[in-house]
Amino acid sequence: MDFLSEIKSILTDILDIEGFRISEKTYLIRDLEAESIDLLELAVCLNAKFKIEVNDDEIYLKQLRAFIDEAQREKSDIIKYLAEKYPFLSPARIEEILADLDGGPALKIKDLISYVKWQRK
Amino acid sequence: MGGGNDKTMHLQFGGKRLLILGGSCDLAIALTECAIRAGLFPLLTFRNKERERHIAEKLPNTSQYDTCYLDFADRSSLNFLLNKVGKRLDFLVDFAQGDFESLIASANEMRIYSYLAENIAFRAEMLKKVSRVMLQNGKGRMIFVSSSAAVRLNQGQGFYAASKLAAEALYKSIGLELGSFGITTVSLRPGYIGEGRGKTFIQKQGEAILQKIPIHRVLHSQEVAETILFLLSESARGFNATEILMDGGLTAGK
Repeated sequence: MDFLSEIKSILTDILDIEGFRISEKTYLIRDLEAESIDLLELAVCLNAKFKIEVNDDEIYLKQLRAFIDEAQREKSDIIKYLAEKYPFLSPARIEEILADLDGGPALKIKDLISYVKWQRK
Repeated sequence: MGGGNDKTMHLQFGGKRLLILGGSCDLAIALTECAIRAGLFPLLTFRNKERERHIAEKLPNTSQYDTCYLDFADRSSLNFLLNKVGKRLDFLVDFAQGDFESLIASANEMRIYSYLAENIAFRAEMLKKVSRVMLQNGKGRMIFVSSSAAVRLNQGQGFYAASKLAAEALYKSIGLELGSFGITTVSLRPGYIGEGRGKTFIQKQGEAILQKIPIHRVLHSQEVAETILFLLSESARGFNATEILMDGGLTAGK
């Protein structure tokens, strides 16, 4: 299954962004300006399209900053800590996200794809 | 609007599948009868075997509706219900409400936590999941059966009123958040009803209570059920994210 095409199709429909070039590197919120109601609709569509359970907190990394704080408080290795919380993200991707936090929500289309693949296993 | 099959026939509905929570109460039974006549297919929830038997006694034609176990104190029962609902759900009517009459200052502390968890937190989880089913369908209508006691309570009704008001807020939020997706909500606040739980209270209070109601009578389950059916119909889609009082004028005066 071409996950990118399927997710692009869903997002084009939800966000009404016909013609916008969406790649795996596109930021869901920074680039596409998805709002909370769009994220809810996306979660429902992913659930229906891929027959997977979608946990909004997980897929959208909603508690990312709280988990980082927790890891720092507990003096844990942040990457290992986040890898436990977000098992669908590779350590390399987590490292990339951590380096990218200052720019705003770091969630990219490729993270959605990782989540869907992980849930379908 | 009044009683009788001919009048309900005029109502149009944007679907067929109706989930009724708290499906064994008198109002739910009355609504089920109206809904079946209107061509809907109700799914009634019950919380134990006794309530399941009660439904079967009141509604002997079991081919016209379905039932499912749901206990607000048992989170796993929600998944059981959702599996039964599947992807098709057009309407939700929520009568479910636990009993807990106590003065705030004398309430059992454990019961405070369990009551509010069952009647608010569980309901919020249920609404989250039902909303997502309706989102997949691109439409849905929810009616929460609240109570005039939410805004005009007697002593000992503090927890009941708190949970009703919290539930109203949840339903209102859904109407606000998902109205653009075709999912709308209404909370109905009936006043004194002459059947069910209200009957005992009214018997205790006697004539004095009727004098406080401008129409000098209590409501009947049938007329409340017909009002709910109307609120489910296409004619009532303009009511969204709001509360409607149906109390014969009880709360309007001093």
